[in-house]
Amino acid sequence: MANAVNIRELALLSLLEMQQEGKQSHRVIRGVLDKYQYLPKQDRAFFTRLCQGTLEYRPQLDYILNQYSSVKTKKMKPVIREILRMAVYQLYYMDQVPDSAVVNEAVKLAMKKGFKSLKGFVNGVLRTAVRDKGNLKFPGPDQPLKYLEVQYAMPEYLADKWLKAYGLEQTAKICQAFLEEKPLTVRLRDHGSQEEKEAILQELEEAGVEVLPAPYLEMARILKGYNTLQYLPAFYEGKLQVQDVSSMLAVECAGIQPGQKVLDLCAAPGGKTILAADRTGESGSVLSRDLTDYKTELIRDNLERCNIHHVKTEARDAAISDPALLDQMDVVIADVPCSGYGVIGRKPDIKYRASLENQQELVDLQRAILKNAASYVKPGGVLLFSTCTIAEEENENNVRFIREELGLKSESLDPYLPEELHCASTQEGYLQLLPGTHSCDGFFVSRFRKC
Amino acid sequence: MALRNIREIGDRVLEKTCRPVAEVTPKIVDLVNDMVETMYEANGVGLAAPQVGILKRIVVIDVDPVEANPIIMINPEILEVSEETQTGDEGCLSVPGKAGQVTRPMKVKARAQDINMETYEIEGEGLLARAICHELDHLDGILYVTKVEGELHGMEAPEDVEIED
Repeated sequence: MANAVNIRELALLSLLEMQQEGKQSHRVIRGVLDKYQYLPKQDRAFFTRLCQGTLEYRPQLDYILNQYSSVKTKKMKPVIREILRMAVYQLYYMDQVPDSAVVNEAVKLAMKKGFKSLKGFVNGVLRTAVRDKGNLKFPGPDQPLKYLEVQYAMPEYLADKWLKAYGLEQTAKICQAFLEEKPLTVRLRDHGSQEEKEAILQELEEAGVEVLPAPYLEMARILKGYNTLQYLPAFYEGKLQVQDVSSMLAVECAGIQPGQKVLDLCAAPGGKTILAADRTGESGSVLSRDLTDYKTELIRDNLERCNIHHVKTEARDAAISDPALLDQMDVVIADVPCSGYGVIGRKPDIKYRASLENQQELVDLQRAILKNAASYVKPGGVLLFSTCTIAEEENENNVRFIREELGLKSESLDPYLPEELHCASTQEGYLQLLPGTHSCDGFFVSRFRKC
Repeated sequence: MALRNIREIGDRVLEKTCRPVAEVTPKIVDLVNDMVETMYEANGVGLAAPQVGILKRIVVIDVDPVEANPIIMINPEILEVSEETQTGDEGCLSVPGKAGQVTRPMKVKARAQDINMETYEIEGEGLLARAICHELDHLDGILYVTKVEGELHGMEAPEDVEIED
């Protein structure tokens, strides 16, 4: 483990960067992995796991540290606090690193960062943590908020919100699902041809990738054991697209037919656009919009890689009405900006940023976008509204808004969904996918027809 | 909050005299928060506004090794210094990788305004006294390197650690 110290230092710097305003953890991690492409696979995996885990388990790690440190984590200086969190994460969740190595590496890292006088402190706190590991008790379900915060690392604001909406058992299930490993899900772009599918699968196999079936959809697969996705021929040749099953289901619920004209309003990075384009075929077209040039650039990169020519991208603000599109579209996909609580498993920083203040602002923005989206659907056409969250304000309440204020009619999702997902609400025109109950991200899908 | 770039020796901004702060605007609050964050990130015990390129009489100091207890000093001035002195190595975030021996008073008494522009007095001893003198010098364009006795030297490389149970 000659590189171990550097990897830990890299992780420390990344974890500190993630806490700065406007930084997103997955982008910070991706940035480092892109920059250090020469690192061996096991180092990349160690780095990613250490960053993700330390971020994800932060409330639990702080609870553990606070049992042993006289200075509470809230009051600690950020660098030393992060070094300790990283160490406790390794002690509790990375069995392949011996406890003594964890403590030594943490002390070395603290000294390297200039905290020479803290050698004794870091050593003392961590040694006690090691010794006491078997005895430490977390708060139990009799204190539900504390229990969810420590056992499931869920900050109080969201724990409280979901306790009220779903009760303790269901909330614990959701939180548990977030903490489980999130596999990389891709869609095979086989255009419905068995032959093409076999060819893609064979290409992946030859590249040494483990391909597992994904839930709900035949075109979805889980990939494991690859080093850099971008280096896989099947990826750079555009034969697969990274996309969660939930997002594929959303597009499928739009029931897009060959030749149709589709608008994808908040489209980056383009997974939905590409599936929509595969469904319309070249006899149809997709207009793919997002707010900034940066975002449309992401879409264009993916389109180019997938060799798709019947999609036009535009950087536009979906909240501002565009009269040119009124009554023009067979299908409008509105996957609106949302609180993102459904993807906390992939983007743990979302749970630390959640707050009541942002909620109403978001709903206002969503409704402005939905109003425009509905106006672009031609009479008889379809509006598909989706979010990647599990908040009633942003989901069910917006369905009511679309029905009552915008005058569109809900339509059953059942014709487009596998039978195992059918339920009372799908027949009524919407589906809330819940982590822990469903085998995918938390996601909300609803379908409407304009009269 | 955001990290600010730390200016290094040779940058003329470090040689200028800073202006007093007349009122704490939201911009000043941001600056102070950023200075604290930048100081912690760089693992310094103090930071003066000119070190992040702002010519205002503001310094932040925190000499506690673990606990975050930043002292914010707006328009600071030294009231009294002890006769007793301390002589030892000093470093500066604007002179990276270097240290040098400087003699400072063992104790100082200073007055400053806090983030609400309330005036307070503070007494410091040892490292805190040294930090107050060092940071206040920055506000008048003085770097510690002009006060070094002997030569500047490189920081000692972190020794190999042996950890005893």
